Amino acid sequence: MFELDLRSRKPIYEQLVDKLKELIINEILKSDEQLPSVRTLAQQFTINPNTIQKAYRELEMQGFIYSIKGKGNFVNPSSKKADLEKVEKVKKELEKLILEALYLGISTSELMDLIRYVDDTKRGGGKDD
Amino acid sequence: MIEMRNVRKSFAGVEALNNVNLTIQKGSIYGLIGSNGAGKTTLMKLLSGIYRQEEGQITIEGKPVFENISLKDKVFYISDYPYFFPHYTTKQMAQFYKDIYKNWSDDRFFKLTNVFGLELNKRIQSLSKGWQRLVAFILALSSMPEILILDEPLDGLDPVMRKKVKNVLIQDVAEREMTIFISSHNLREIEDICDHVGILHKGAIIIEKELDELKADTHKIQVAYKEKVPEALMKKMNILHTEKRGSVFLLIVRGEEDIVAKQVRETHPVIFDLLPLTLEEIFIYEMGDIGYAIKNIMV
Repeated sequence: MFELDLRSRKPIYEQLVDKLKELIINEILKSDEQLPSVRTLAQQFTINPNTIQKAYRELEMQGFIYSIKGKGNFVNPSSKKADLEKVEKVKKELEKLILEALYLGISTSELMDLIRYVDDTKRGGGKDD
Repeated sequence: MIEMRNVRKSFAGVEALNNVNLTIQKGSIYGLIGSNGAGKTTLMKLLSGIYRQEEGQITIEGKPVFENISLKDKVFYISDYPYFFPHYTTKQMAQFYKDIYKNWSDDRFFKLTNVFGLELNKRIQSLSKGWQRLVAFILALSSMPEILILDEPLDGLDPVMRKKVKNVLIQDVAEREMTIFISSHNLREIEDICDHVGILHKGAIIIEKELDELKADTHKIQVAYKEKVPEALMKKMNILHTEKRGSVFLLIVRGEEDIVAKQVRETHPVIFDLLPLTLEEIFIYEMGDIGYAIKNIMV
């Protein structure tokens, strides 16, 4: 379903949370779909079941999944929160890129123009469809 | 739950452990790391009820371990040099453990020997170091222990075997809530499978924490500035270690990731990288903090 990078410096638990979020946000895991059991994942990746449990708990806390005792974990249909999460992520990435652009000497007005241009073409594209 | 409280142990007047406190939750994989001669093996032997402490309490589920047969029935210890009786074959050794461990499972034993392709009628001591390790693992896992104590367990196993052994271990943790207490110098190995870590140094546990937590609050930062490094920033952060490589600064900083990142960004660095630390780095810097530092050795 996805890959984990055991060599990465990023903690496995964080990788798991991020990957599963991505799958939920992009609706590869559909609403009310059951997530793989802790046992299955632990065996598949040869990682500590407690780590997976922890990742699932975190996802539940953030409202991405819900759990039914004795049955397992399922994708939460109310994905509003998921969208917010993505907005936040994109904003952060943009911030980084904009900062880089500013350092490279691109002026703010140039950046504004770029935003307007992209917005225009997006609308234009919408009309053509 | 396994608990050690104020445990002290010495050998012929030489102190091996002084005031060890440690807690291991059921179903967790606990990694013990430490400097050479820190007392890791002594600690493990105390936990398995092989040694008796001079002071303090060692309990499993609230009961003392030493000479407690019903408790030791649930504990299996694989030492750093697995011991087998001379001239015994795997089959004979299995019979021995079957007589000792109440929960021994023949079914498990045959399944495991099959999976790993172990010949039952070969003398164990004629096998290679790696295979001997594997025999120890198979015997341990067939005894269905609730607590598995492993001293430098994966030494001498090839990568494929390692993965297979780890996989079997993890199954037992997931399915039976087996607790694993593991010591190793191979920090990568510990990092992959443990959820809690304890660092032992000179006979005492200096840090005991959840691994993710330990990693979440220490970061490695690389920064460079066009001009001088802002002093104010340096004062604001909790810095464990600084190193200058050309015009790039390498800092080891304690604190929450978001806050640290924000503080640094506010000073407009030209280069800024924030990386989580590996367990190896945490070990080195924490030990450096208490005077067990790495100095480049020149001979």
